[in-house]
Amino acid sequence: MSVIISYNSHVVMKNKKPVIILKSVTKKYLVHHEKPTLSERIISETNETFVALNNINLTITEGESVGIVGANGSGKTTLLKIIAGIATPSRGSVCVTKRLVSLIDLTAGFHPELSGERNVYLNGMLIGMKKQLIDKKMPSIIHFADIGNFIDAPLYTYSDGMKLRLGFAIAVAANPDILILDEGISVGDLKFQFRSQQYLETFLHAKKILIAVEHKLDYIQKYCSRILIMRKGTIIADGDIKQLGIYRRSFFKRC
Amino acid sequence: MNGEVQHFLELLWGMTEKELRARYKHTVFGFFWLVANPILQMAVIGFVFTFLLKQPVKNYYFFLFIGLLVWNFFSLSLSKATPSIVYERSLIKKARFPHAVIPISIILSNFVHFFLAFLLFLFPVLFLGTLSMLSLPIILFSFALLLTFAIGLSLLVTSLNVRFRDVNFFVSALLIIWFYATPIMYALTMIPRHLLWLWRFNPLTSILQLLQMAMLGLPGPGPAMLASNVGVIIITTILGIAVFTHESKNFDDWL
Repeated sequence: MSVIISYNSHVVMKNKKPVIILKSVTKKYLVHHEKPTLSERIISETNETFVALNNINLTITEGESVGIVGANGSGKTTLLKIIAGIATPSRGSVCVTKRLVSLIDLTAGFHPELSGERNVYLNGMLIGMKKQLIDKKMPSIIHFADIGNFIDAPLYTYSDGMKLRLGFAIAVAANPDILILDEGISVGDLKFQFRSQQYLETFLHAKKILIAVEHKLDYIQKYCSRILIMRKGTIIADGDIKQLGIYRRSFFKRC
Repeated sequence: MNGEVQHFLELLWGMTEKELRARYKHTVFGFFWLVANPILQMAVIGFVFTFLLKQPVKNYYFFLFIGLLVWNFFSLSLSKATPSIVYERSLIKKARFPHAVIPISIILSNFVHFFLAFLLFLFPVLFLGTLSMLSLPIILFSFALLLTFAIGLSLLVTSLNVRFRDVNFFVSALLIIWFYATPIMYALTMIPRHLLWLWRFNPLTSILQLLQMAMLGLPGPGPAMLASNVGVIIITTILGIAVFTHESKNFDDWL
């Protein structure tokens, strides 16, 4: 390995309250080339497993913005899913002490036949908001999503951009302490991009936690102060923004 | 803890409301379809039995209608709930929330429809003069059994269906047989005594017999029948909750 390992060194230096703690987390997936049917499973007990995460130890403290980089299939998304509680580790423990919202698939869970308002309630509750809170936040959600009168219209009349803005507005209204970003939100029109950037900046300014997986290194460079480099299910480097340069160079060396 | 329960209930009701609202969108007759279905079935089966064969039970059309209402609720709930987790995979992959709300909301929305149709059906029954003071608690008890059984069984089959998609096919095949194994078209009094034990494994037997007793003054289930049916319901429900809780951690791996 040509990459310098500075494992967790700067976390100790800061001495802040840990919010996310992963202890020897391993995630294995059964390799299925096709969904096994009941008979297939009984006849051939194949236990071909793929180790997506291998013994990950990670502590993230208040105010950190973490960028995760690495090649495709290195376990970045699995790590996000484990932190978000969407997937459960095969071994090890995960502890998240604050409110977490992921911006994975913003428009998932919208029902096309129902009005925007109904969908806000449904989606808000799915990401963990109380109904009362949604009642209170409704005007600001409508304002942030910038959809005006369309809030009463069924969702199939929305454009893709409107759905996306609505999804983002709900996530923002949930007022998370931890924000999870998979492959960025660099979608939508310029106005929306500006708004989402503005939000991220105030979010980071409030010393909250951002965890982002992104291939565009410029994006990482702009928002993240801590860099994790992953390869084959392990964190091979963990350090400050300088790691990005090392990551870039290591990539070009291999080419 | 209390907050979690409240959030679960809010989310459950939100999802149920979604099912209710979305079901009859863009239909001209809407709710009418719910009553039309059993009426049509009742007419056909009633025709066959009263004209071609001998009418097997007094007030046979009423008898049929009760059975068909319950059966339609049960079979529709089960066939819709079984693949529900697979269908809602985008939700499962988006956020962390109690997965049980997906199948349970489907059953609750069906139950609301069933209940409304049942209320409509009560009016003609009033003229039969077979209702008594005791009818109400018996009906409520029967409904409680029905709802518990539908939820328990759905939790079991929907979680198994995530890993073994055969379950969905199995359930549809089972429902066809189950229809004839339930005293919908026939009364249990017509079954030879030495075969009655077979019906002890089918909880719908007691559920229907209780309703037939409460509404039409027919003999109710015997103590052995009731006890074994309730036993099956309890075992199924406990098994359903246990399997669902265990499997739901790994839903993401299989979707």
